[in-house]
Parts: sequence; structure tokens; C-alpha cells
Amino acid sequence: MALLTEVKKDWGTLKNYVNGEWIDSDSGKVIDIENPSTGATVGKVPMSTREETKAAIDAAHEAWWAWRETPPITRARLMFKLKELMEQHFENVARIMVQEQGKTIDEARGETRRTIENVEVAAGVPSLMMGYNLEDGAAQGIDEDAVISPLGVFAAICPFNFPAMIPYWFWPYAVASGNTYILKPSSQVPITQNYLTKLVDEAGFPPGVLNLVNGSHEVSDTLMEHPKVKGISFVGSTPVAKYIYKHSAENGKRVQAQGGAKNSLVVMPDAVLDRTVPNMLASYYGCAGQRCLAGSNLIAVGEIADPLLKRWVEASKKMKMGYGMDESVNMGPVISAKAKKKVLELIDSAEKEGAKIILDGRNAKVPGYESGHFIGPTVIDQVTPDMRVAKEEIFGPVVQYMRMNSMDEALDFIHSSPFGNAASIYTASGKSAREFRYRCQCGNIGINVGIVAAMAYFPFAGYKDSFFGDLHGQGQDAIKFFTDRKVVITRWF
Amino acid sequence: MVECDFPECTTFGAVIRFGIELEKGTAAIYEELGNDPKLAKAQETFRMLGAAHKKRGTLLEDTRREKLNEMILEPIQEMRGEKYIIDTKVPPGMDLKAAAKFAAMAEESSSAFYLDASRVAKMLLAEAARIMERLGKENLSNKAKLEAL
Repeated sequence: MALLTEVKKDWGTLKNYVNGEWIDSDSGKVIDIENPSTGATVGKVPMSTREETKAAIDAAHEAWWAWRETPPITRARLMFKLKELMEQHFENVARIMVQEQGKTIDEARGETRRTIENVEVAAGVPSLMMGYNLEDGAAQGIDEDAVISPLGVFAAICPFNFPAMIPYWFWPYAVASGNTYILKPSSQVPITQNYLTKLVDEAGFPPGVLNLVNGSHEVSDTLMEHPKVKGISFVGSTPVAKYIYKHSAENGKRVQAQGGAKNSLVVMPDAVLDRTVPNMLASYYGCAGQRCLAGSNLIAVGEIADPLLKRWVEASKKMKMGYGMDESVNMGPVISAKAKKKVLELIDSAEKEGAKIILDGRNAKVPGYESGHFIGPTVIDQVTPDMRVAKEEIFGPVVQYMRMNSMDEALDFIHSSPFGNAASIYTASGKSAREFRYRCQCGNIGINVGIVAAMAYFPFAGYKDSFFGDLHGQGQDAIKFFTDRKVVITRWF
Repeated sequence: MVECDFPECTTFGAVIRFGIELEKGTAAIYEELGNDPKLAKAQETFRMLGAAHKKRGTLLEDTRREKLNEMILEPIQEMRGEKYIIDTKVPPGMDLKAAAKFAAMAEESSSAFYLDASRVAKMLLAEAARIMERLGKENLSNKAKLEAL
């Protein structure tokens, strides 16, 4: 079957979007943007300077007051315009993600839909940011009100795995509630946000309300240190999330920093295997295992271990790898040669520690895509809790198969992890499911669901070293993060 | 004749794409039959069915765009597309009976595809399953109309 066509083969050198204008970076430093499926260079991204970042912050700060005075319903209307443009460009956005990130077209379409959903939810801002009041709340004849107010300039530092959606967990809520914003997309996948920001411009948002600055540490550090920036949103690995949280807080900012994960999926003896196996395939191998919600450890409880493993390996072997522009492909590559090396190194470590590789994707090849960073579905059996591979985030299509005797044992193991992003249970028992959701100390819990991806109107949660902060991205949490409550007590003489 | 590019039905998106290709092919068959002066007696029926199939293609595109979400991206391992592929090469010089039979074969094959796809989709996404079931039933109704010509 023919491949879907790419929107563009070469995107050239990307520009920054500051104060409503597309401008070149003067840094003189660029890095290549690689298509991870083909190895081709598809564009260049500038490493913007501290001064260029400061100019974006100044523009956002200048734009803030007029934007804050713009009525919420007017701000919401711009969100509706943006939504319409995103619908028109839906397929292009999805195909750009396939090209620069390597995910499959279905995954990219799913992500585009979720991106739009965040705009749709943010468009409800007149309702979402209503305050509350109480007549005679302070005393007889003295009323008290809590008004929800925006704070100023916010910024997001974004990861490579969801080029469209993750920035949209944050900025639509910030901007709809009257703040201005600076986005720093991942330098590995900047094209998607570049394209989407053109739609923001076309929708008619005033200059300075949303700004996009490409780059790396220099941009991030400037955003975290600048006194005009009120808060930082981040998604990435745990060591970086910890740094961002600490460094931004030291500089007086609000922070929401989403870190890494090591998610376990627990299969109970009464699980419905016909439905469980395909659902878990999507969790472990979807986005080539590069989701913060991806399954990593697969814990089989009791006598189901052997029959489940047999079916799991059979089904895993059928996963079709390739370039995501082929609609029949189930799994793409990992993001880079460096990422592939890290995954392979962890698989090797498991072998050295005594685990058995019963399905080995280390030498997987996709004909015609020899320069792609493909790793085939990999199943490691006889993994024990003390092994590195059971504890460290792997971010690749690798399943650590573990056998345990009870849900208690599985929960003890899950709780021994420093991470607390997600966990799922597969069972036909309401009692087991209820016990799991009640006891499990993770932010996102799945009951017969392997990818616990919160919809836009729910927070994307996370516990322990998987999240630093208190208010999450998306929904009402996001509105609260980007606003504060101002109390007004009124008496008329 | 229109060239259809049928994918392997290994993903939800590929199943929908298969359906879109079926609609493209079937619409093209009706267009050709509707323009054949020898089949003028059934011209209106063929054109109406052709327009309906184009509309169904748009419905499938909308379904793919609006209903796909991450939680249902399970691989599909039990559908074999080969058995539903339709012949879009309309034989020249057919009389009305032969033409209706030719189109009815495409409708029958499409119906089998949608009804099977509906069973697979039911486990993934009930909304998509309902749409496919409806399309499959429409195919059967179209087939009955053709047989009455």
C-alpha cells in the first residue's frame, strides 16, 4: 500500500514567533531535525539565545494587561477560531508528527484529536474561571467575593514524545484565563508546534499573547530565572523535572513538573485474556513505548503467568513495524540513535542479571528503513524486582515479565518504585479492581485500561517522582495553576 | 476505472481507510454505470447510489478524524482484507441485468466488510461500530434495490 505523503520534505530553518512576528534567531547555532524512521534531515532548529528569550518574555509581558482586560468570552471566541483552523489542518498536523517524531499515523491522529480537545475545554473559560461570593459574608451588610484573576506571563518547556498535545495541556488554559505565554518546544520535534503556532497567528490572537522560542538549555534557564515569568510547566524525565522544579521555585515561580515513569500492568488470574492482550499491546508498544503512560513491567499474578506469556509473545510477534505513514503499521521507531542505545543497554543489563530475552527486538530491521531507529517488540522473562530493568524507566517497546503470587505482592512492588505515574489492573472481579484503585499509590489508575490518558477535562495526574508540584495540566487544575484567587470585602456607607 | 489502494487491516485507521477505498471504488462504479447510455433506464438509481457512496466516504473520514483516540489504538490481528476487495473494472457492454449484478457484488462485499469490521470495532469503540453496522446494512439494502431493477 502506498505511503501517505509528507506535508513537506524539508522545513528549512525554523523561526521564532515573538510579538506576532516570525523572526530568525541570530544565534548562528542550529541543529538538525531528524526523521527517526528514515534518518533523513527534515529541517533545522535554531538554538536561540538568552537575549532572544528575554525579548519574547518582554513581548509577553507588554501584551499581558490588554489581554487580561479582554473579556473572557472574547478570549473564548479566539479559542473557537483556533479549533476550527485545527480541524481544517488536522491531517497535516498528524502527518508532521509522523515525520518528525516517528509515531504511527493512527497515534498521530489520536494525538491531534486530544490537542484539539484541550482547546475545546479551554474555550469554556467563562464558566471555568468564575469566582464565588457570599452576601453578608464578612458581617451584616458586608459582602465577600473571591475573584479568579490571571497572573501574567507563563512558559512551558516541552518533551519530544507528544509534539502537539503536551504544550496544549498548558497554554490554551493559561491564555484563555487571561495570561500570556511562551512555548519552548522540544528541539527534537519543533516542527509541529511551529505549524500549530501559524494557526494561532491566523486565528487572530493579539501579538505577544503566545510566543514560541526554539532552543535548548539557554532558553529554559532564562525562562526559569526571569522575574517577569510567573510560572513554568514542564514534562520530561525525572532528573530534569526535579531540576526545573527546584530552580524555578528558587526564582519564585509556580511550577508543575511532570517526570518519568515505570508503570506496571497487573494481570489477575481472572483477567479476560481475549481483551486484555490486545489492550496491553497498545500500552507497551504504542508510540514505541515512549509514552509516560506506557506499560513497562507486566506482572502476572498466579497461574495465569504461563498461558498469558504464550499469548503475549504470539501477539507481540505480529506487531508490524515501519514508517508511520503506512497506515497498516502498528509501531514506529524510537526517537534517536541515542535513545535506541539506552534502551538496548538496559535490555543487555537484564540478560547479564539473569533474565531471559524470549522475544528479542534488538536487531530488528525494517526493509527500506535501515537508517531508522527501530527496536522490535522485546519480551524479557524472569525479571525480578531487584534488576535494573525492573526499576529504571526504559522508554522503549520492552516488556519486563514478572511473576507474583498475589495482588499484595504486586502492590508492594509498585510502591517500592520511586515513580508513581500510572498502574493498571486487568481483572473480571469488581472487588479486586476496587481494592487496586483504592490502595495503589499512582496518579493514573487503569481498570482493564492500559493507557490511562486523562481526557482534557481531567487532570493528567502523577505521584511521587513522577510529578513535582500540586496542580496538574489540563482541565480545572490548569485553570487554578494559571490564576489566583483575589478576595474582595465590600461595604457601602 | 478508479484505482483503489487497499491497506492491510492491522490498525483501526487502516480499517477505516479500507472502507474509504471501498466507497471510492463503489462510487466510481456507479458513476460509470450512470453515464452509460445503454443503461439509461436505471441512470437515476445508479447516480443516486453513487452520490450516497461518496457521502459515506466523507462519513468515514469524519469518523477517523473525530473518534480515534489513544485508548483504542489496539492492533487488529483478526481481519483479512483480501476477502473484501471489490472489482472496480466495469466490463464494457453490459446490459442492465448484468450491470446491476456487477454493482450488487460490490455492495455485498462491502456489506461483509462493514459487518465484520463492526464486530471488531465493537471491542474498541462502540460509536464506530454503530456506524459500520449501519453502512453494512445500507449495502444490503442497496443490493436489494439493484436486484429489483
